[in-house]
Amino acid sequence: MRRKTPYPYWFVAPAAIIFTVLFTIPTVTSLYFALTRWDLFSQTFIGFDNFVQFFREPGLTRGLINTVIFAGLTSGLKTVLGLLLAVLLTAGIFAQGFLRAVVFFPVLVSTIGVGLTFTELMHPTDGAINMGLSFFGIDGPGWLTNPDLALISVALVDVWRGVGLATLIYIAGLASISPEYYEAARMDGATRLQQYWRVTVPLVRPATTTVILLSLIGGMRLFDLIWAMTRGGPGFSSDVLASVIYKQYQAGFYGLSTAGNVILFILIGVLVMPLVYWLNRREVDL
Amino acid sequence: MARVELHDIRKSFGKVEVIHGIDLTIEDGEFCVFVGPSGCGKSTLLRIISGLEEQTSGRIEIDGRDVGNLEPVERDIAMVFQSYALYPHLTVGENIGFGLSLARKPKAEIAEAVNRVAETLQLGHLLDRRPKELSGGQRQRVAIGRAIVRDPKVFLFDEPLSNLDAALRSQMRIELTDLHAQLGSTMIYVTHDQVEAMTMADKIVVLKDGAIEQVGTPMELYDKPATPFVAGFIGSPKMNLFDGDVAAQKGCEVYGIRPEHIRLTDDGDWHGRVRLVERLGADTIVHAEMETFGPMIIRTDGQSELREGREIRAAPMPEREFRFGKS
Repeated sequence: MRRKTPYPYWFVAPAAIIFTVLFTIPTVTSLYFALTRWDLFSQTFIGFDNFVQFFREPGLTRGLINTVIFAGLTSGLKTVLGLLLAVLLTAGIFAQGFLRAVVFFPVLVSTIGVGLTFTELMHPTDGAINMGLSFFGIDGPGWLTNPDLALISVALVDVWRGVGLATLIYIAGLASISPEYYEAARMDGATRLQQYWRVTVPLVRPATTTVILLSLIGGMRLFDLIWAMTRGGPGFSSDVLASVIYKQYQAGFYGLSTAGNVILFILIGVLVMPLVYWLNRREVDL
Repeated sequence: MARVELHDIRKSFGKVEVIHGIDLTIEDGEFCVFVGPSGCGKSTLLRIISGLEEQTSGRIEIDGRDVGNLEPVERDIAMVFQSYALYPHLTVGENIGFGLSLARKPKAEIAEAVNRVAETLQLGHLLDRRPKELSGGQRQRVAIGRAIVRDPKVFLFDEPLSNLDAALRSQMRIELTDLHAQLGSTMIYVTHDQVEAMTMADKIVVLKDGAIEQVGTPMELYDKPATPFVAGFIGSPKMNLFDGDVAAQKGCEVYGIRPEHIRLTDDGDWHGRVRLVERLGADTIVHAEMETFGPMIIRTDGQSELREGREIRAAPMPEREFRFGKS
């Protein structure tokens, strides 16, 4: 019988220590602090009061709903547009390399920079978007000032900013599909549209899984773009969980803020884990 | 009826011409094999016939109809790919019925056709499985099933056995030959393996550098190779070919003798020494270093007791010698 030695654990130790210090301890600590009312110097255990308060406050639950809407909308649009752009940018069109760079460029730009730029572009009277629309006789809406539109406007900017990464992932996914699948489909009489629906979409599913999960998690955790463009306003209309957490923290409600973090953590887990399971079941080995 | 005619087919990629004016007729029901080394243009020629590749010039006719500008599906042909190209997200049944479902045939009609093909290819018990759950031979059969379900006029096979191991390849050769006999369709088959060509073909087309080197039945190519290239390509082990002084003494540019047409005999005029012995069971392949000739391969019976280093004498079967002009 082989003797067990501690030798292999030495290889695991560095990663385990980093993971414990940077993830496990903060997570467990935040779980505890979510059950307290605390400031930097003292804390009082109050059970689940923070969570109860979180779900009682309409402004806070609005943030929760907005988070799900924002993540769903941006994830859906990035998935659909990313695939369409990837198909276009792998079709051998003119200036393909340049266009790929153009599509990917927004990914490299600072989120705060993007937020401030689009805030100016979406200004109701002086913004370039509404001025452009007025040129065609269209009275542009208050993109960021209309409570019904603000969240969607930020979501569209997030899609603009993030679709390049989705496109890049899809381009890699498309490159892994053997041309023989398309040739076999052509031999069977598939039109371009049929090739897209019956070959490309199913076979690029591993990339779709990656894009959906990355964009969904990113969408649920998003803070910087919302903060740069609307600060959750007008009112609480574009607040998401991350901005709510930040506001509570600013106001000195550390316990409530930490409870928001725990709720965000659980929300991501509850939405993403079943999705991962479902998407993985549908994936194919090429 | 499915007679395939190629008239002066040329294909260029940019400025490089890779197919140099091919004329060929494949008769109805014929099993025609394109064979040649890598890069000879055999797959390109097959893809031109399929419509996946467009010829630069020339005419392709199927049953007298010019199909050169038609889409693959309009040519009424089916193709089996080297990688099988089975859709991993579909079951065996869905893969076989894929073409029919694209054509929006009624579900009952598709099911009936799929079952008929599955029965022919003994795939009935596998219809609900996905390709990754199949063995190489089963995948091969599914790919063939997808081709025959549409009942096309012509079948094209692009090196379909090259991903299989030797035993399975041998079995699939027999199955394909049986299938051809059963369907009676015109089949065009590309391979670089001369054994596949010899064992399966009614007609072999030997290609070299984008041109036809020789067309004929397997035995015509074996018995009467037109060029040293064909002589060297058809037959295994390959024919011993000699040029220079040896050929000059024999009154030709290239002198050839197949390994199986050399007798080991004590009164032989050729003498040399055994360098290597390969025992195949039924046969023994002797690699010898002969005086005058240099390296020579000799096939002898499996019970031979020749050993490395032993001196031998040999002689050609006179009626089996080949003398070629300039290659």
